[in-house]
Amino acid sequence: MSHQKAQSGITPYVSRVDRRTTLAWLGGAVAAGLAAGAGAVPGAAEAAVVAANTLKGYGTDPKLTHPDKAPWPRLMTPAQLQAAAVLCDFILPASADAPSATALGVPDFIDEWISAPYPAQVADRPAILEGLDWLEAEAQRRHHAVLLQLASADRAALLTSLAAKPTDPSLNKPHIFLWRFRALVIGAYYTTKPGFKDIGYHGNVALAAYPGPSDAVKAHLDRELKKLGL
Amino acid sequence: MSEPYDVIIVGSGAGGGMSAYTLTKAGLKVLLLEAGRNYDPVTETPMFNIPSEAPLRGTSTPDKPFGFYDATVDGGWQVPNEPYTIAEGSEPFMWWRPRMMGGRTNHWGRISLRFGPLDFKPKSRDGLGQDWPITYDELAPWYDKVERLIGVTGRAQGLPNTPDSPDGCLQPPPTPRAYEQFVTRGFNGLGIPVAAMHAAVLTQPLNGRAACFYATSCGRGCSIKANFQSTTVLLPPAMATGNLDIRANALVYQVDLDRTGKAKGVTFVDRVTGEHHSVTARSVVLAAGACESARILLNSKSAAFPDGLCNTHGMVGRYLMDSVGTSVSGQFPALENLPPTNDDGMSVGHIYVPWWGYEKQSRKQLPFPRGYHIEMGGGRAMPGMNLGAMLSASGDLTVGSALREDARRIYGSYIGFAGRGEMIPNEDCYTDLDPQVKDKWGIPVLRFHWKWSEHETGQAAHMVQTFLEVIDKLGGKPTPGYQTDGKQAISRGGEIIHEVGTVRMGHSPEDSVVNAYGQSWAVKNLFVTDGAVLVSSPDKNPTLSILALAWRSSDHLAGLARRGEL
Repeated sequence: MSHQKAQSGITPYVSRVDRRTTLAWLGGAVAAGLAAGAGAVPGAAEAAVVAANTLKGYGTDPKLTHPDKAPWPRLMTPAQLQAAAVLCDFILPASADAPSATALGVPDFIDEWISAPYPAQVADRPAILEGLDWLEAEAQRRHHAVLLQLASADRAALLTSLAAKPTDPSLNKPHIFLWRFRALVIGAYYTTKPGFKDIGYHGNVALAAYPGPSDAVKAHLDRELKKLGL
Repeated sequence: MSEPYDVIIVGSGAGGGMSAYTLTKAGLKVLLLEAGRNYDPVTETPMFNIPSEAPLRGTSTPDKPFGFYDATVDGGWQVPNEPYTIAEGSEPFMWWRPRMMGGRTNHWGRISLRFGPLDFKPKSRDGLGQDWPITYDELAPWYDKVERLIGVTGRAQGLPNTPDSPDGCLQPPPTPRAYEQFVTRGFNGLGIPVAAMHAAVLTQPLNGRAACFYATSCGRGCSIKANFQSTTVLLPPAMATGNLDIRANALVYQVDLDRTGKAKGVTFVDRVTGEHHSVTARSVVLAAGACESARILLNSKSAAFPDGLCNTHGMVGRYLMDSVGTSVSGQFPALENLPPTNDDGMSVGHIYVPWWGYEKQSRKQLPFPRGYHIEMGGGRAMPGMNLGAMLSASGDLTVGSALREDARRIYGSYIGFAGRGEMIPNEDCYTDLDPQVKDKWGIPVLRFHWKWSEHETGQAAHMVQTFLEVIDKLGGKPTPGYQTDGKQAISRGGEIIHEVGTVRMGHSPEDSVVNAYGQSWAVKNLFVTDGAVLVSSPDKNPTLSILALAWRSSDHLAGLARRGEL
């Protein structure tokens, strides 16, 4: 039975964060007074959350042309990162023309976001981490298996029930979490070059002159303005 | 060069940079002191960088309040080691400061509107505020010179109190973007004229500077020097004269006087070493930014000026103003599914709406006395993290291919409307020294006092009504969260970063600190050439006027120096 589920499970997400960056975070964490290894050792995450609030950000004069990676250590546990990956690809799986959210490293970005020492990100942190923990616990509760190992139909049913407007009040909080998580995934995905291509952002190229809208665009506007009586 | 210099200039932004340009070209030996670090837009500007290369996708944080790629160095709403305070009972006030060569000209919005004839005579117009000691016609030649030097887009359109420039001053404005052509029809449908933007962005090469290539937001600065920054347009030619020394990290806190009561120089602390230095010159120009220039005067105490230099009549720090601001955005079904197009343009709007209600106000048909203009943003701008919120606000919780379709449909269908309006100076808005709080180096810091009047809150309410009308006219839906009550809708004091006043010019020492040339009434070889001297704060963004006034004042200073009259 469990063997069968493992076969239908999905490949674990492999973090895009390289070892050099992880070591730099550890250095930062040590400098901030953390025990060496915090954030990488299971069980140290809570201590890391407390310590992260005393960590500094990238400062008021960061290098802009070739930015350094965000300097703060990541706070997600491996299980939370995997749950984030499952959710990322539920929200934006690969299409015929565009890569999946995980292929663009979006789970690592969500980890970077919720781990940041700034007020807006600190405010996002508890709901995101609790939501990911809830998702894993719900997989266990409904199907007695970890999220990654669920049969694909079971996983799809779980995620789809979360996305639907809740009738069961116990799903209110997870549903609100999903809205916020989705907004972060959308932001993270479409701010990449493949995201630009998929959404139709054609700028960020040097032009000799600004041409203004094409005839096709102007025709579209004229049609719409006519409908509005303008 | 050796001391004494002919002139010490404090600050390297619009006022200080313009003064350095004019005075060095006139042959005077100048020392320019800048509180921030050296900064080179050519090598430091993140041209073409995209959000995914930056921490948090470039989202704004307390370290970089306008986003990671914003040019501002070591600053924003707070500067490390340099606090300010808000007086008890005051409404909020925010003070944006950078610590970099060129100051705020590196990141500013580039909107460059001339003040009009009415703006110089507000008291004569409706009895409110104070008249300037100069007219529009007196300043106009310097507006012409500034536009020709820095490069400003625009077109003569013959609109009231919105001066047209003489032929040859302005560069051709770029074609309006798709959403700008759309919104123009909406405003015209309400009987409101739309004008070409006046922006300090080159659309044609000028003096060795390249024209805009219509990519990379101006707020990052510009490595090809296509927009106006003091660091690319004013300081290099001033350096080329051989008459300019520049010292960075020099935080000036005091003007020093000689025995006869004339300025003999300034004293500063080096922000890096913490050492204090005094330097000498035959004249001093303060251009540290309206509030910082007032702070220097207030901290320059002596037996003759126990309440601060030039403050005998208690005028220093008075009549602090900002612009009135508020914004509403809307989502427009008519813009959904537009064929993808490059909307980058010159990053600032290609159009704006000048104030259109002069006639109604002269007939007392509006419940607020002064006007505002409208700036718009939207279209298919480079996506940022706010796209998530946009999609959350405009649909169901879709995923997968349905989400991708929603994203393509919604993206580019929003337009943001922002009002920028005139504030009338009042007795409740001023700055003084905090009696307790000092900065890292022991120098007393500014304390702000702020209170909007009904003139401003009434105007903010009208802005919101106008935005809602035009959104409706164009079949759009306003984004929830806007306020129709002007008291709730209005920006916080200082938030629009147009703080001016505090060392105003006037007709006599009783009503002002400096004369029509920015020359102090009390110390004749001390000048102020930043926004502190402004007598009113019209809706037009102040930088172009600061540049014109600084040039005019510096010409006057150079004339006095030449004739040995300083």
